[in-house]
Amino acid sequence: MTCPLQKEKTDLLLDYSAGRLDAASAAALAQHMENCPACASFRTEQTAVWNALDMWEPAPVSMDFNRRLWQRIDAAAAAPWYRSLRDSLRFTDWKPVIPLTAAILVIAAGFLLDHPRANPGSNALVTGVSVTSVSLKEADQVEQTLDDIQLLQQLDAVTPPNGGNSKRM
Amino acid sequence: MVQGVNTVVGAVPALDPDAQLMLRVRDGDEHSFGVLLERHRNPVIYFVYRMVQDRAIAEELSQEVFLRVYRSRETYEPTARFTTWLFRIATHLALNWLRDGRNERGHQRLDAPRESDKNGDMPAREVSDRKPSVEQRMVYETRLQEVRSAIALLPEKQRAAVLMHKYEEMDYAQIANVLECSESAVKSLLFRAYETLRARLAHMVTGVPK
Repeated sequence: MTCPLQKEKTDLLLDYSAGRLDAASAAALAQHMENCPACASFRTEQTAVWNALDMWEPAPVSMDFNRRLWQRIDAAAAAPWYRSLRDSLRFTDWKPVIPLTAAILVIAAGFLLDHPRANPGSNALVTGVSVTSVSLKEADQVEQTLDDIQLLQQLDAVTPPNGGNSKRM
Repeated sequence: MVQGVNTVVGAVPALDPDAQLMLRVRDGDEHSFGVLLERHRNPVIYFVYRMVQDRAIAEELSQEVFLRVYRSRETYEPTARFTTWLFRIATHLALNWLRDGRNERGHQRLDAPRESDKNGDMPAREVSDRKPSVEQRMVYETRLQEVRSAIALLPEKQRAAVLMHKYEEMDYAQIANVLECSESAVKSLLFRAYETLRARLAHMVTGVPK
């Protein structure tokens, strides 16, 4: 028989120590352990652990365990749905949910910051404001240009076509 | 997060008697639920107790286990052994309780001497024909305390695997189904757990407590 420790078949030794190995395998392993100090030592220590664990036996269950359980069953049947839901979530481990929720919130916040015009209402408002500001600026420029043209026309009307040349001659 | 009562936990070769009882519960037979309760109450409570090492908490969590079984009766499908399903619920609840930080009080108790009566362990049993002497009782209490501490110091999954393997006499496949892992993973868990326990408890083979 190949050594279970070398073959990484320690479950054979565990089963042997627990008395759960079939007769043929147990006999083969017992014969192997006569010549294998490592396996024999494993068996001795594992048997010690097994016996030590046998010491630990809990006390009898409370006498009223069943009565309390049936009371809870009756109460659950009579309770409104939200109380039943609360009770069913009572022993739920919420810790893994917290980082998941936080991650979703961060992603959502990042998306909103990255896409500030995603909201149609705010988009219209922002567009309206920029259109209004652009229109006012253009109107000022047009008005200024018209004033400049009018001033040039007045200058042309006041000045004679050859007034400068007659004085020099 | 605690999983709800999931009845789909793997293939079952034949309908075991407990699953048949549960099917009757599904059909409205409350007496069958009482039979299941009587049959599995103690193993579930003892398993949960050895996981959390607090008797009151163990009974509260065990009540929750059976309450969930009863609540899910209408959707029950016998796709696995009943005990696999039952211990999966019990294991989830116990692990969640341990991970939820509600076990600090229990760990403090582990360090206190002579707590076995308060925590719900049997008193000295090895000398049943006569009253044990003070010395015998002290030796027993010391050893029991070592066993409890050694188990409590195991990682949670290793602890659950050892308790199911040792006390519930489950095979590797069933433990794997309860813990939702492979058989090789269970063997690895058990090997490491027993390796740790051998290092901590092997001295007991000499009969001399630490």
